Amino acid sequence: MADKLTRILYVEDEPDIQTVARLALETLGGFTVEICSSGSEALDRAPAFDPQLILLDVMMPGMDGPTTLGKLRELPQFAFTPAIFMTAKVQPGEVAGYKEIGAVDVIPKPFDPMTLSSQVQAIWERCHG
Amino acid sequence: MVDPAGLQAKLKALSDAYAAQLPEKLRQIEQAWEQLPRDGWDEEGFQTMHRMVHSLTGSGKTFGFALLSDVARNLEEYLKQLAQSKAVPGEEQRRHIQVLLGELHQVVTHRDAASGDQPGLIAVARPDRKASGCSRIFVVEDDSEQAEELKAQLSYFGYDVSVFNTLADFRLAMQANPNVVVLMDVNFPEASQGGIEMMKEIQQGRDIPVPVVFLTAYDVFSARLEAVRAGGIAYLSKPINIGSLIDKLDVLTSTQPAAPYRVLVVDDSELLTTYCATVLEQAGMMVKAVNNPLNAMESLLEFAPDLIMIDMYMPGCNGMELAKVIRQLDAFVSIPIVFLSAESDLDKQHLAMGLGADDFLTKPIQPQHLVSSISSRVRRSLKLRSFMVRDSLTGLLNHTAIKDRLDHEVAQTKRHGTPLAFAMVDIDHFKQVNDTYGHSAGDRVIKSLARLLKQRLRETDMVGRYGGEEFAVILSNTDGRTAVRVLDDIRKDFSRLHHLADSKEFSVTFSCGVADVSCFGDATKLCDAADKALYRAKHTGRNRVMPAGTPTVSGADFS
Repeated sequence: MADKLTRILYVEDEPDIQTVARLALETLGGFTVEICSSGSEALDRAPAFDPQLILLDVMMPGMDGPTTLGKLRELPQFAFTPAIFMTAKVQPGEVAGYKEIGAVDVIPKPFDPMTLSSQVQAIWERCHG
Repeated sequence: MVDPAGLQAKLKALSDAYAAQLPEKLRQIEQAWEQLPRDGWDEEGFQTMHRMVHSLTGSGKTFGFALLSDVARNLEEYLKQLAQSKAVPGEEQRRHIQVLLGELHQVVTHRDAASGDQPGLIAVARPDRKASGCSRIFVVEDDSEQAEELKAQLSYFGYDVSVFNTLADFRLAMQANPNVVVLMDVNFPEASQGGIEMMKEIQQGRDIPVPVVFLTAYDVFSARLEAVRAGGIAYLSKPINIGSLIDKLDVLTSTQPAAPYRVLVVDDSELLTTYCATVLEQAGMMVKAVNNPLNAMESLLEFAPDLIMIDMYMPGCNGMELAKVIRQLDAFVSIPIVFLSAESDLDKQHLAMGLGADDFLTKPIQPQHLVSSISSRVRRSLKLRSFMVRDSLTGLLNHTAIKDRLDHEVAQTKRHGTPLAFAMVDIDHFKQVNDTYGHSAGDRVIKSLARLLKQRLRETDMVGRYGGEEFAVILSNTDGRTAVRVLDDIRKDFSRLHHLADSKEFSVTFSCGVADVSCFGDATKLCDAADKALYRAKHTGRNRVMPAGTPTVSGADFS
């Protein structure tokens, strides 16, 4: 039996999307969400928050999503934490590329706030199934 | 469990906030674009613009702007190609980007009714949505029998009604500043125009007057004038026609803003169309610009404007010729056409009017003048059109109008690949209702179904009275399966309504056929399919909603 998913770290630079994602994941999904506005903020705050799952926007100014994940993976604590990329550009080849660098799945943007939680939950159950 | 209504409200608020920021976001993108040098490659500047466009792609649909996401994605893909070559954009590429930026502007006001992937989630407005607006009515009427009758009828249409038989009681109740609409009798035992005097007293010192509809048995001009001075929004003669009263109340209690005016601007000068578009859009209108007059007809059908503005002199086809062609189409016989031109020759202007123009604006035109001439034309034309396209009993779209809308919606749907469903609804055994309870009871049944359909479907859905007891419903952004579910809920509720005739209660049911646009090529086929499904619903026992079979596999359906 898998652990119940509660703590999600979400790395996203855009305030609009942060708000709607928080609403979708907390209110609708009942998760506890820590939102970081940049890759470096995520590296600072991830260890204390100890997320069970990491959501990352791919395209961010400064450190992008894949780079951020790479740095998180260097910390032993997050070597195997499931990570999901969120991106507006989802082509079959790209998904494979993201999976290669350690993402369990990709959620296409723009996402539907009404179904985001269930998408995340389904991915979680799949990797702990 | 989460309160879905609360969540919807929160999402709506976020979407509103996002919508409010959009114009500024577009402005920043345009600014970034304009600042790019024309004679060299500015990697950083280009990336900045790319990122801003990317952010629109990735956020639009989340906030209910699916078209914005689509257009932004096109632009983003194009920018990406350019970025890969790192070549300074040439004339043609610049133009292409301008066009895409222009499209962004056009879709920025295009908000979805529901998210495309999950059309079912918010496909139906909550039945209690009136609660968010002001649905409380104070009836002030000294004749208690009339007052109670009015109360009963209004309650039937979902209004919460309180009755006051004396002006003193009413004055007392108004001290609490309730958010109400007042239905005020004019004549009271204490004074012949006591109702009007009372409203004048109530309105004093209020910034926003209390909406009031006066009811009177004596229709004289002097009383009407006084009623207007007392803030009267309408003045209805007794006996009250409940239909027209409900229409007035629906307008007063509606929280929905009116749809923006749609203006098609045809001018070969891009500069001028951009100018007009900017000015009119700032005034809250939706503008589509066409720079090649030969493409005007296509945009006309697709955009369905409320007014067309045409330049007199254009290459290929001049403005007067274009106006003539437009007037030859039945659907556009009444659309206002305004010429815009540097032409100041009065003879030429008169000639243009003779060819079907309604107005002539001379360039250069002041923004304020442009806005006021266009909006007053549109306003009058829409009012006139509403008389032509509405069914007088129900206020729904009439047969011709709903068919026109269906053509238009199907064209849109095919273009954007969005879902759409069409339903035909027919009251069961309606002839028996008329024969047993009389025609006025039959009319009330028709009106109650019209009201129920309008209340339960979204603002973006369209309901028409197709024939005697037959209705047509266009559900935008909704697939067939969802439409069946929605209409089935309405069917159940309708069958539970109690209708009254001579204090005898009876109930009525309806049958319904639903077709999904994805299975059918055009509006006619869609319509036929819904009709056939309705026929099957009738012949398998009535009081049911039947999905249309797909045309290729007989007997298959999508449920």
